[in-house]
Amino acid sequence: MSRLARSAGNRGSTPREAKRAMTYEVLLNTVGWPLAKIVVLLAAVLTVVAYIGWFERRLLGLFQSRLGPNRVGPLGLLQPVADGLKLFLKEDIVPLNARPFLFKLAPVFAFFPAFLGFAVVSWALPWATPSGRHHGFVVADVDLGILLVLAVSSLGIFGIILGGWSSGSKYPLMGSLRSASQMLAYEIPLTLSVIAVILLGGSFRLSDIVAAQQKLGAYFILPGLLAFGVYLISAVAETNRVPFDLPEGESEIIGFHTEYSGMRFGFFFVAEYANMVLISVIAASLFLGGYDLPGVDDAALYAAHPNLASALGVFAFAAKSALFAYFYVWIRATFPRYRYDQLLRIGWVVLLPIALANVALVALLKLWLLR
Amino acid sequence: MAVETRAEKTSPLREVLETRQYELNMGPQHPATHGVYRAVLQLDGERVLAMESVLGYLHRGIEKWAEYRTWTQATPIFDRLDYVGAVLNGHGYVGAVEKLLGVEVPRRAQYIRVVLGELQRIANHLLWLGTHALDVGAMSMLFYPMREREVILDLFEAMLGQRLLPNAYPIGGVRFDFPKGWEPVCRRFLAAFPGRVDDYEGLLTGNRIWRQRTIGVGVISAKDAIALSLSGPTLRGSGVNFDVRKAIPYSSYGDFEFEVPLGKNGDVFDRYLCRVREMRQSARIIQQALDGMPEGELRGKVGKIIRPPVGEAYYTVEAAKGQLGYYIVSDGGEKPWRVHVKSPSFVNLQGIETMSRGNLIADVVAIIGSLDIVLGEVDR
Repeated sequence: MSRLARSAGNRGSTPREAKRAMTYEVLLNTVGWPLAKIVVLLAAVLTVVAYIGWFERRLLGLFQSRLGPNRVGPLGLLQPVADGLKLFLKEDIVPLNARPFLFKLAPVFAFFPAFLGFAVVSWALPWATPSGRHHGFVVADVDLGILLVLAVSSLGIFGIILGGWSSGSKYPLMGSLRSASQMLAYEIPLTLSVIAVILLGGSFRLSDIVAAQQKLGAYFILPGLLAFGVYLISAVAETNRVPFDLPEGESEIIGFHTEYSGMRFGFFFVAEYANMVLISVIAASLFLGGYDLPGVDDAALYAAHPNLASALGVFAFAAKSALFAYFYVWIRATFPRYRYDQLLRIGWVVLLPIALANVALVALLKLWLLR
Repeated sequence: MAVETRAEKTSPLREVLETRQYELNMGPQHPATHGVYRAVLQLDGERVLAMESVLGYLHRGIEKWAEYRTWTQATPIFDRLDYVGAVLNGHGYVGAVEKLLGVEVPRRAQYIRVVLGELQRIANHLLWLGTHALDVGAMSMLFYPMREREVILDLFEAMLGQRLLPNAYPIGGVRFDFPKGWEPVCRRFLAAFPGRVDDYEGLLTGNRIWRQRTIGVGVISAKDAIALSLSGPTLRGSGVNFDVRKAIPYSSYGDFEFEVPLGKNGDVFDRYLCRVREMRQSARIIQQALDGMPEGELRGKVGKIIRPPVGEAYYTVEAAKGQLGYYIVSDGGEKPWRVHVKSPSFVNLQGIETMSRGNLIADVVAIIGSLDIVLGEVDR
């Protein structure tokens, strides 16, 4: 690349040569680098998603005075591989009553949006190359980043509704109906709590929100404590986890994926964990300062050792997100499940007014104190 | 069904948007039915309008089977009724035969039966607590009671040679005395146990979600409960003070001080509280029985071949699920002419329709859990 760049800048070359080098560079910047980033990010996210299952099961084991998976590989670390292999080898069943096309399409609908949101997450400060270029730790640092995450993540519901409906069976249908009303009820408080953060940060872009927290010198969890609470509860509900795991409600209606088997079920499963990771990651950037290193002057460190700051930033981000993941597992180990009507009541009657009031509160705060 | 408003009646969408009741088959392969119980629910949305129980998936003909065995050979079969409360089942059967034979069971044997029986009651309630909580969604609660139940099963294994279906008693007494070192282990367990129950209660009793899921759900009035002849904690949850151990004391239960926990509202929460408190009382009884253990014989005077006189006898014990009765008829031969079992799970299951009507599907799951049924005993 550097050779081409040099030749592009070489005054001695013919215009034709320069033009060819230019298109190459444009191509590299618009397709090559983003593609490389996507591949790296997907690999990383898929690995994390696979291992969050292991993480959860080991942790639940600790909570429940048992061991958890420890047979496959050291500490059971190969368990996700074994599980994935098992899902691939299972028979793929399409029930007679199902609508085959939609039935097969539904897992894709659930799977795809779950991974799309990761594109706009800014993982660390840009990586500086010796030639003076900066590569952002983000696939697409779009202006409306956080809105994109919200919009895309609510697309995942289509997979659940389609999956439940096209199964041609009553239990999955009930599961998907529950899921739809639950998503509706909690999408709004979730969005409102994020709006409070957007007000505080003054931008929709995730890297700007982190920068705003660094500038403020405090994470938004402090001024946005209420928003944080609403976000936490709604996030648990959005990802269909205990105590809001009604769409699955194993002991009641088994879930919207009752009729799925093999890797089609695996897609739903992976999508759920991907959503959990995404929502933890977003929570970390919105409320806990993302890749900001706690107790360190990031700007100074970045000026002195930019790459060290970036690398540490990724670790800080991962650690903060892991905190949320731990929290998820913790409540799963502790609470019983809410009932359908109770869950909706909490969403509409409790969380929505709190979230609305909080938006007004944060707006006033922003107006008077944090100018 | 909701009454239609005028706007709904005249709506052009009426034909299209008509709502219908539908039927949902729950079980026999459903994780919350604790085995092969099947319920057919008539639903309006998720609300239960009516339900019907369908039984018989685990019918093994145990009563008939017993008629082809001698009186002694029949004892282990009855362990298989309520397979998580086996010791208490065995007690009921041998009690009935002893009554017909007119055998006096030595006091030491009676006390040992009390110790083992109450341990079995605790083990049963622990299993119930774990599975009931799991049904309502509290996953970790499955594992903590199992830890304590394991100690009890180990105690059974050490004394009786079996963990689940120990065939504990021969007719006329008990087979073995406590083995060496058994009693200290049991006492250690009893000392630790109330703290463990506090832990369970700490996770559930005050938990907002747990209370919301159980209080006011599956209510059955004392009148209805008596009319349906419910028994055990399912009956006492409605506030009816009837416990066979107090009402018709057997096996020296009159010697011990214990309370019969009662509920008030007859909902799932009250039945839960009754059972949890009953575990504490059982531990108290075991403590007293171990402290006041009399010396003496282990077995009354029973011949090698048991031939009860012609006649019939009815003997009833407070099993883990409720009142367990055995009605036996002898024609003077070596084999029972008839053994009829009045099993508490079967009778208690009658209450489920009254309790479930008007509740949601999720409540039905909680209600099935609160009845503490074992299908081996329902179908026999």
